[in-house]
Amino acid sequence: MDLDSKIGNFKPEIVVLYCKNCLAKDSGPVGNMVSNSKFSARLVMLPCSSKVEASHVLKILAQGADGVEVVGCPEKQCRFLVGNTRAEKRIEYARQLLGKINFDMDRLGMDRGENLSLSQLISLAEKRANAVMNIGPNLMKG
Amino acid sequence: MIVAEWKPLPEIIEKLRGHKNVLLVGCATCVAECAAGGEREVETLAPLLTMAMKADDNPIQIQTKTLERQCEWEFVEQLADIIPNVDAVVSIACGIGIQAIAERYPYMRVYPGVNTTSLAIREQPGIWMSRCAACGDCILGETFGLCPIARCAKSLLNGPCGGTRKNGKCEVDENADCVWRLIIEKAESRGELNKLLEIRKTKDWSNSRHGGPKRIVREDLRP
Repeated sequence: MDLDSKIGNFKPEIVVLYCKNCLAKDSGPVGNMVSNSKFSARLVMLPCSSKVEASHVLKILAQGADGVEVVGCPEKQCRFLVGNTRAEKRIEYARQLLGKINFDMDRLGMDRGENLSLSQLISLAEKRANAVMNIGPNLMKG
Repeated sequence: MIVAEWKPLPEIIEKLRGHKNVLLVGCATCVAECAAGGEREVETLAPLLTMAMKADDNPIQIQTKTLERQCEWEFVEQLADIIPNVDAVVSIACGIGIQAIAERYPYMRVYPGVNTTSLAIREQPGIWMSRCAACGDCILGETFGLCPIARCAKSLLNGPCGGTRKNGKCEVDENADCVWRLIIEKAESRGELNKLLEIRKTKDWSNSRHGGPKRIVREDLRP
């Protein structure tokens, strides 16, 4: 199957690792899975984005996810002072490692947000889905 | 600690072509401290190699294991049950640990995943600097606790050279302090600058790497 036909049926699977402090208090319960016609997302809550290690995101990609989106708090608003800064550095490190094996770096990224509603969190997943849409499915899938 | 750094990934990938089941082994001691070969690095490198080899059309299965000390036979023995199930080993321990596995399991292909570079200290988070060259004839007592063998680019025994920058940094590395400047400053601060003018015994290089492989024998510890 060539890339065009793969992309034609492509519905990206995104894993979102988000800091629980990014969400608005009234955001309500957040489910584990979100799916629509364009993409599906698995939402994983963390106590802080700094809990993300390079090994975690690389394993998720090695297990076939099309993209990984990490969501942390705005700069200087981390409850653990520098947790989100550390997370950002680790994500950049992991992106550089992906580049060294010629794996598309845009499968992985980090964004920041505060008082996010569930729909805003999902829109960040969609942003990552759009980024990987032109890259095509992860070759590790299946 | 013994300091190492990952080999370029394409170099490791090249070595793994043709293998199917690979054991990636780390060491939880020195190389874990320098963030090159501990459990965290093993678990980071494994998915990277898995993805790279699949993209290379040479898919491999990778098992991971981190030994407490890869330079001690008792710990290397822990691989005995795993080794028969793989066709190659990549070790990201220092060169000692890599050789220990190759020696204990002589029928197995063992590849280094790191280059062992120096004996160093963590100067700041994320920065390691050489502190010892294992030269076999320590002169730290004469140089105020600062090693010119490891820390001077020219390993000068009488420095500084003429290349020290105006800001006190080394001409070879603008981020490294001129160790002879540090030695002289420390001698001055103690009022012992004259100590550096004393004629010292010729340094014995025969106990360094130049004298061949080192062998230490302690009869009291032998069986």
